[in-house]
Formats: sequence, structure tokens, C-alpha cells
Amino acid sequence: MRNLIIFFRRYFNFFLFLLLEVICIVLVFQKNDFQHTAYINSANQISGKMYEQYNQVEYYLHLTATNDSLVRENSRLRNYLATTFDQFDTASGTHTDTLRRFSDDSLHKLLESKVRKYFYREAKVVNNSVNQDVNYITIHRGRLQGVKPNMGVISSAGVVGVVRSASDNYAVVLSLLSRVRNFGFSARLLRTKEMGNVQWDGGSGMYAVLHDIPRNAKVQKGDTVVTSGFSSFFPPDIPIGYVDSVTVEDKSSTSFNIRLKLATNFYNVEYVYVIENLLKDEQSNLEDSTRANK
Amino acid sequence: MSILLRNIIRFILLLLLQLFVLNKILVGQFVSLYIYMLFILLLPFNLPRPGLMLLGLFTGLTLDMFMNTMGVHAAACVFIAYLRPFIINILSPQGGFETTQKTPSLTSMGSTQFFVYATILVFLHHVVYFTLEVFNMANLLYLLLKIVASTAASLVLVLLYELLFYSKKQ
Repeated sequence: MRNLIIFFRRYFNFFLFLLLEVICIVLVFQKNDFQHTAYINSANQISGKMYEQYNQVEYYLHLTATNDSLVRENSRLRNYLATTFDQFDTASGTHTDTLRRFSDDSLHKLLESKVRKYFYREAKVVNNSVNQDVNYITIHRGRLQGVKPNMGVISSAGVVGVVRSASDNYAVVLSLLSRVRNFGFSARLLRTKEMGNVQWDGGSGMYAVLHDIPRNAKVQKGDTVVTSGFSSFFPPDIPIGYVDSVTVEDKSSTSFNIRLKLATNFYNVEYVYVIENLLKDEQSNLEDSTRANK
Repeated sequence: MSILLRNIIRFILLLLLQLFVLNKILVGQFVSLYIYMLFILLLPFNLPRPGLMLLGLFTGLTLDMFMNTMGVHAAACVFIAYLRPFIINILSPQGGFETTQKTPSLTSMGSTQFFVYATILVFLHHVVYFTLEVFNMANLLYLLLKIVASTAASLVLVLLYELLFYSKKQ
């Protein structure tokens, strides 16, 4: 016994070293429970506040670019306004009755046949990284404002990422710019409807790679790639990027290797929208129960 | 200024520099800039090893908190904090450094010794950090290039910082 104690005292430093390293390694590899257990991340009060302070300076410097993107989006949305459509000349052709879809009063609700599926919340970006292998974006919206893990996040231009964890007032978004296995976005070519999968390959934050587009697809430079709407995170037809180059890796491969220019400029993203899918639980419960019954 | 105050100020300064300057710089796919581990490199000679390691853990976890890396920085910092005394022992002359100065620096160790000391520890830090971060041994070449390129870049920063605060007497 005495020898044991002497042994421990002699190698105390080494054992302390092992203990601390084990703690660190456990922290690294417990990412599966990340959403529930992570307090050591940039969504907590201290780091969130600090990033917010810093962002006030950066925000000012990017004001012009932010304004431009918001104005562009405003003009796009203005085109969907009910008043943009000519109400009187109904005989000359069909047009979408957007009034009913957006109306809130009870009379119109009775007439309403469509169910709201997605709910958008705007959020301010307080921290953003582009130079890591796995990049995160911290936003100033949290549990108290209805942001929960596994919600899709888009900017005014296109897809940004998926919410990974949320504290009371902040949330951490796993950016599209992340080299994580199994982290891809279900995508579709807007023109020809072929399905694929978008992943980031490291390197420049302006580009990503679109996999699994079959060789018989007619892809052209400049084609828009949008979300497929199959995943429960994003509504269909939100831009992800634009085809930049199409190559074939080797002749036996059945799919193209397509390089995308990303729609979102991750270098100066200031405002994002968090998308809540109101029917998500229903969809995933159904899918899970089907899988369990198999 | 007392050693304690000096180190606290250095800690905050390096943390701010790391988070709000270096993390915003995009040099290329292979280069990431890190300078915060200089805090561990510059802790006093006579600090006992458990203290050194605990400070390493604290530094690493602080970085992890801001960068969402969960334990990766902490593992690298504890690793170099543990190995630091060995390196100093190997590099120190007969009497040891402690007799003349209290903290490692260009003046107290001599420029060659300090350069070797910083190179070894920064390199080891990057090895642990990138191995855990990338953790994809299939891509060994990418990992190696990243470690070497980032070590070189970080080392330049470390030496610049040292030269900036270089003084003959302290």
C-alpha cells in the first residue's frame, strides 16, 4: 500500500496529465449529445455578449452590403404583394391569389385551404467564421424566441446552415461551410430537376461541390441549384448555389463532379432567417414509426 | 508590474487578438493562424507542473467556448503544458534559466534557444490540434500540409509578438 502511494506521488504529474487529457478527449467525442449538453460554446452568455459587442463594430463596416441585400430582397418580396397583381382583369389569364394565403382575419381563414407549413424568424448574426474546417455562426435568437436545434437557416440570398444548439438568447448554427461527414444538403437542379447532394470540400468559402448528379443530366454553367424540399429543414426551391464548372472525375463514374458558386456570401452575412417547419414532428414521427415497424 | 498581473493582461490581450483579429483572417486552405498558446509558453519558469497543466486546460476551454470546438484546443494546450518543462530542461544551460530571469523570453533564454523552444511547442500544439480537428487519417497529406504551414505561420506571429515586447532588462 505504501509503495502504491509512493508510486502515485512520484508520477502525480503524469496521472494528472492523463486525467486532463481524458477529460478533453471525452469533450471532443461527445458531440452526439452536443445539443443537450453543450454549455461551452459561443451561445452562452459570456461569449455571446462579447461577440455581440464586437459585431456592432463589424456591422457598421458592412452596412452598405447589408443594405443592398435587404433592398434587393424587399423588391423581390414586393413582387408577391397582392397589390402588385391586377385584381380586375381576371378573364385574361390566371394569376395566383396571394391575398388569401397571407390573410389573418377570420373570414379569409374560413376560405383558406392551405395550411401554414413554414414560419420564418429573422435573426442577427453576431459571430461568423469561414476559415476553419468546421465553421459555426452565432445568431442573436434563442430558445426564448422559439429557435430550436435542427431548424434550417437561410440568408436573403440562399441557404446558410442548420441550427445546432440554442441557449436562451443565442443559437449556434452549423454553417454550410463544414467538412463534417454526413453533413450535406439535399439539392436539386432547378431546370432539369435532377437530385443531388451539396457538400463543402474545404478551401474557399465561395464554392461547394454538388455530388450524385447522373451523367445523363444536361447541366450547364450558371444553372441554379436549389433545395429539394425532401429534408424537413428547408422549404423547396431555396437557392443553394449556381453551377460554376462541370467535370467528370474518371470515365467509369456515373455522376458528375459539379462545382457550385454558393448563393450566400458567407464573408459578409449579417442577417439570416431561421425556418421553423411546423409539420416537421408529424413527418419525422411517421418516418420513424415506419422504420421501426420494418 | 507583478508577474501575476502581467500574465492576466497577456492572457486577455492574446485572447482578443486571437478571436477578433486572427480568426477573421483567411490566408488559405492550409493556413490557420494561432497565437494564444504563447500564453502557456510565457508562463513563469518556477510555476509547478500541475498549475501549468490546469492553466493550459483553462486557456484551451476558453478558446473552445468561443470557437465551438469542444475540447480540441483544451487537449492541445494541456499537452504542451505537460511537455513544456521537459523542453525547458533540455534547452537550459548548466545552472538553469531561473537564476537570471523569471519568464521565458528572447532575452532570458537567448534567441536561438527561444526559437527552438517556441518551434517545438507550437509544432506539438498544432499536431494535436489538427489531428483532433480533422480526424480523418485517410487524408494524411492534407493534415500534414496543414500542420506544417500553420506552424510556420503561427511561429512568425509568435516571434513578431516577442520582438514587439522585447526589452533588454525584463
